[in-house]
Amino acid sequence: MTEWNSSALVKAATKAGKKKNSLTPMTFSLLHATDFADRLLYNIIPPLKAGMIVLADRYAYTAFARDTARGVDPRWVRELYSFAVRPDLAVYFRVPIEVSTDRLLARRVKLKFYEAGMDMGWSSNLVESFRLFQGRVLDQYDRLVDEFGLSVISASGSITEQQRTFRKLVSEHLQIEDVHEQLDELT
Amino acid sequence: MNSSTSSPDPQPARQGRGEAQTPADPGSASPLVTPGTYYGHGIPYLPIDGYPGKIIAIEGTDGVGRSTQITLLREWLEVQGYGVVETGWTRSALMQPTIDLAKSSNTLNKLTFVLLYATDFADRLEKEIIPALKAGFIVLSDRYIFTALARAGVRGVDRTWIRNLYGFAIAPHLVFYLKIDEKTLIRRVLQARGMEYWESGMDMKLGDDIYESFRAYQRALLKEYASMADEFGFRVLDARRRIEVLQDELRRQIGAFLAESDVTAAPID
Repeated sequence: MTEWNSSALVKAATKAGKKKNSLTPMTFSLLHATDFADRLLYNIIPPLKAGMIVLADRYAYTAFARDTARGVDPRWVRELYSFAVRPDLAVYFRVPIEVSTDRLLARRVKLKFYEAGMDMGWSSNLVESFRLFQGRVLDQYDRLVDEFGLSVISASGSITEQQRTFRKLVSEHLQIEDVHEQLDELT
Repeated sequence: MNSSTSSPDPQPARQGRGEAQTPADPGSASPLVTPGTYYGHGIPYLPIDGYPGKIIAIEGTDGVGRSTQITLLREWLEVQGYGVVETGWTRSALMQPTIDLAKSSNTLNKLTFVLLYATDFADRLEKEIIPALKAGFIVLSDRYIFTALARAGVRGVDRTWIRNLYGFAIAPHLVFYLKIDEKTLIRRVLQARGMEYWESGMDMKLGDDIYESFRAYQRALLKEYASMADEFGFRVLDARRRIEVLQDELRRQIGAFLAESDVTAAPID
C-alpha cells in the first residue's frame, strides 16, 4: 500500500512550499515526481520483486491530470514519469464534478489551497476555484482513460456497489495472471 | 558510513507507450538550440520570446574558481551599467534545506538526487532567472543544467530522459566551461577543504578508499563535461591559468558578445 505524496524525503519541501503557497506548477510537478521516485524505489519495487501486490492510492496519472490542468506541458510530464513501472491494473473512480464538490464540502471544513487550484488565480472564491480547477482535472482524466487504458468505475454509486465492481475487476485480473503463472511453471 | 542507498535503482526505464514517438535525442549532432529559448517542451504558461536579458553560465567542476570569476565579472559588468543577477546551484529557497537534509542522511538515490536538483533549478528559473531576463538583466549563473547532466551521466541515468527533463530550461546565451585536468582538480580541492561524501561519489560505491573513489568520480565527471562541449556549444577555457588571465579572457568574449547583441546597459540603483 503506497500513498501519493508520502515520502519522508520530500515532505519537508512540499510542506514548506505549500505553507507559503510558493509552489509553481513546475515545482509542484517536480516535487511530486521526486516523492513518487522515492516511493517507487523503496516501497513499490521491492514488494513487486517479492511477488506481492502493491495497492497504490493514486499513481502517475494523478500527475498527468493535475499538472496538465495547471498548464505544464503534457508531453513533458509523461516523459518525466517514464521511469515509473506501468501498473498491471489502473482503476479510475470517475465522479461528476458536482458530486465530488458536494462530498468534499459535506465532509470537510475547508478545501486546501492547491487542491482547489487557488494558485491558478481563476477565482478568489475557494469553492468556485475548486470547481473550475477540478473540472479541468476531470477533463484530463477522461483523456487518460483512452490513452492509458484505465478501467473506469463509476464512483457516483454506493460504496458497496463500487467495491463489488472493483473486486470483480481485480479478481478477473488476478485470475488471468494466475493462469499465466501456472502455464509458466508447466513449461 | 553504511548508507542504505543500495536500493534497486533502475535506469529510468522507458515504458513504451506504444505511440512510437520516441523523441529525437537532443544530443548527438542536432543543431544548437537558439540561445534564450527553451531547450525542449518548455514551460507553456511562461512564454519568454523577446525577453531582453541574457544568461551567461559559468560551468566547471569543483576547484576551477567559478565563484571568484563571477564576482569579478559582476563588478566589471555593473561598472559598465549592466544590471546583474547571480544564481547558483541548489540556492533556491524552496529546495536548499531539503537537499541539504537529503545529503546529510545519505538517503538519496540517483533518481531522487536528479529530481531534487531539477526542482531547485525550476524554482530558480521561474523566480529568479526568467524575471531577470524579462527586465533586461544579465544573469550570471554559477553552474547551470550541465552540472546536473554531468552528475546524472556519471551515475548512469538515461541520457534522453534527463535531457527531456531539463527541456524546461532556457539555453544560455554563453556557456563558459572552465576546464582543468584531474591532477590539478584533486590538488585544488584537497587544498581548499578536503573531500566530502557526495563530491567523492561515495554513493556510487566505487570503493572504500575515499581518495580513489574521489579520483574515479572526478575523472568520470570531466569526461561527461567534455562530451557535452559540442552538444551545447561550450566555450572551453583553460582554468589552470592565473585568475587575472582567465578573467581577461572572459571579459573579452563577453564584451564582444554584448557589443553585438541588443542588450543595453540598464541603469542600476
